Formats: sequence, C-alpha cells, structure tokens
Amino acid sequence: MTRILIALLIASQTCAALAMATPPQPAPRPAAQPAPAPSTASTPARPVDQLLQAILSGKTSNAEERRIGEQIAGNFLGAVKLVPDPALQRYVNLVGTWVALQSERPGLAWRFGVVDSDDINAFAAPGGYVFITRGLYRRLNDEAELAGVLAHEIGHVIRKHQLRLMQKSQYIALAAGALAKQFKDEEQLIRNLVGNGAEIMARRLDQEAEFEADRVGMVLAARAGYDAYALPRVLEDIGHLSDQDSRVALLYKTHPSPDERFGRLAEATGDRLDHLAEGAGLGQRFYRLP
Amino acid sequence: MPRITLFLLLAALGLPAWAASGVMLRDDSLRATASANATSRGHARKGDKVEVLARQGGWTQVRAAGKTGWVRLLSVRTVTSVGGLGDVGTLTAQRDPDKVVATAGLRGLNEEELRRAQYDAQEMQRLDGQAVNAEEARRHAAEGQLSAIRLDYLPAPQVQASPASPTGGFEF
Repeated sequence: MTRILIALLIASQTCAALAMATPPQPAPRPAAQPAPAPSTASTPARPVDQLLQAILSGKTSNAEERRIGEQIAGNFLGAVKLVPDPALQRYVNLVGTWVALQSERPGLAWRFGVVDSDDINAFAAPGGYVFITRGLYRRLNDEAELAGVLAHEIGHVIRKHQLRLMQKSQYIALAAGALAKQFKDEEQLIRNLVGNGAEIMARRLDQEAEFEADRVGMVLAARAGYDAYALPRVLEDIGHLSDQDSRVALLYKTHPSPDERFGRLAEATGDRLDHLAEGAGLGQRFYRLP
Repeated sequence: MPRITLFLLLAALGLPAWAASGVMLRDDSLRATASANATSRGHARKGDKVEVLARQGGWTQVRAAGKTGWVRLLSVRTVTSVGGLGDVGTLTAQRDPDKVVATAGLRGLNEEELRRAQYDAQEMQRLDGQAVNAEEARRHAAEGQLSAIRLDYLPAPQVQASPASPTGGFEF
C-alpha cells in the first residue's frame, strides 16, 4: 500500500520535480527501473514510511513537523549558541509568543532564541523554532521592530516554507532513483532530509516565500497591536548597509535584497492599511543589550 | 539656523538624521496631514527624488519639487544621502551614537560552520527552559497596553512587475 501510494505520488509529481531540477542535466534515470521494493510492501506502513509519505504529500502532523524542526534547531545551536542572558531570552519569548498567538497556529510550542553572532539575520525551523542573531537585535530600535522580525520568521513556520523546500528536494531525490536506498528508521530519514548539520539554514527558499513571509509578518505584528511599519523600517535600515558587509553575506545569499522586499511590501499594501490605527512601538520597555 | 532646527526636530522625532533623501517607489499624493482623508496638495511620481522630513505612523512627510506633503510610508524609501556617508561605520554612528560598533573584526555566520554543526542537546534544553506560555505572553502584552486587532492577510500583489528600478544615484 505504502509503495503504491509513493509510486503514484512520484508519477504525479515527477514532472514537477524534474522541471525544478535545474538544469536538466544528463537525463535522469527514473521510472525505467522500478525502485527496489521497500521490504514492507505488504506489511502495514512502518513509521518511517508514514513519515516519508507525510512529507511528500505535504501533510505532516504537528508532531512530525516538530521532530524535523527539532533536529534542525538542535544542529543550528551546535553552530551558534544562545546568548547567555536569561532576561533577554525571556523578553524575546514573551514578544514572539504574543505575536505567534495572532496566527492560525497559536498552539505550536513556540521557541524563540537570540543567538550569539554578529551576523545580521534571523532564522526559522519547522514546528515553531525562531532565532534572531545578536547582530540584528542590536540594530533594532523598539519592541515593534523586534515583533516585525520575529513575525516574518513566524510566517515561514505557519506557511511551512521549509517543509515545502524539503518536499521538493525529496521529489528530486526520488526521481533520481534515490528511493532505492531505504531508510532504516525515522531518525535516519529525518537526518537525511535535514542534511548536514544546519546547512538547511543557509539554503535559499524561493523568493515568493520571502515576500509572503514579509506580508504575513507585517500583518501579524499589526494584529498584535504593534506598528505595522516596523518590519519595513528594519528592511530599510538593513538596505542601507553595504552588500559587501560580511555580516549580511548570508542574508543576501538566502533572501532577495532588503530594498526589493520593501518594494514588494509597498506593492502588496497599496492603500489597504490606510485606515489602520497607529500601532505601538514600545521603545521604552525595549530590552537593550548591554 | 533653520537647518539646525530641522536637525534637532528630526532627532527629537527619533528619525535618523541621515534620512534626508528618498526615492518614490510608487505614485502618491502629497497630503496636507498624515491621514488618508487629508486634502491633496499635489503628487509625487514613481522615481521622483524627495527630501524626507518626518514620519508619523504609516506616513512620511516629504518635499518633492518644492511642495511638502505626506505620502504613505511604503511609497518612499530612504536612500543613503550623497553627502559622503557611504561608509557603514559612519551610518551606524549617525543612526545611534550609543550603538557604534567597530565593524572590523566582526564576522558573520559561515556556511561551513553550519554544515559541520552537531546537534547540541544542552542548548536545546536551555531553549526549552526559556519558553513562555500563552498566558505569560498575554500578560506581558497587556502590561504594554497592546491589544489585538483584526486584520486580514495581504494578498500577493497581482502585478509581478519588478519594484521601482533603481534610478541614478541609487545605492544600498
């Protein structure tokens, strides 16, 4: 059963997957040789097969999503540590959780962390993990700007952007016949999906995903009572930095330019927020780094 | 003297003192006050260079071709002024003197480090330990007098046209 489902799925998705695999290198050797039968063909689906199916079909449960995100977040924290400042970390969790409560996934176990890096960036992992670097935090002027940045990352989580990226990369792997390599258990599958360490954090999502996260971020921050324009202000500020600055190298590699993002937000917003009441900035209680 | 007054005014408004020039990203009218209902005093066109005077809520006050008025904040983007402020250190210093950081010696995250990273269970424990629950978050929001409002998500823009292309003298 499992196998049939996967086969059907491949059949229906291979074209899309191949179309995405740029450039169409030496003709892939897909369907010709049917993938060696998963040994479980006739037995009830094993957890690992269920998980693979869930990812391929884009229907992961919250628990499955969490396990994937947990692996990514844990690997990420292997590369860069949390800033050892409990008051700062608590403050960021209070702000971030409040913003996340305005989303359609308030019940995720949201976790926010400021990581000890001069890099100017923020990150998300599936299941509710959100990180901001000390370098970016230091540039912020008030709580609304913090809320805006966190809200952009919350946008990636609730719209499952990274899972979609994995889904696509798995399609490509499957099309290339990699399914032949059977996954022993869920751990192995998750490790395979996540790849080496936290490299997935340095992978570029499609640009539309970034623009979407900006739109979602602006709205979530406004729903939470904050100044909706704080996020575009941060983009504007980062846009003033030289793109040669090493602190924004990864940001520029993985995101459209801040100026382009600002422009897209302008296009998406138009006159829609003309009558929005002015939101709060809360610069007074913003936790400032020593 | 008026120049100094303007500078002080900008400083008082919390505006970055360098934000003296901007470029229009879209056509917009120059409103008499920072409100959608205000009377129009004229128009600024996409690509126009403007002087950025003040910000209030979702509005930015600009001077365009001698006329002053308020446009939507997202209609205009500030650009680095041409007065030799191209250097990051200078900008940082101007943005907030307390935040001057020496950029030399700072380094960003690098991909190799990310790739080699090993799962850190101890840090994950710390991360879990600093989480807050919904009730705590609501209380904190209430302390800041934040109240939730209803607002629909913004649809993706219909036109896929690229945003205002950088016109001459435009830089990050």
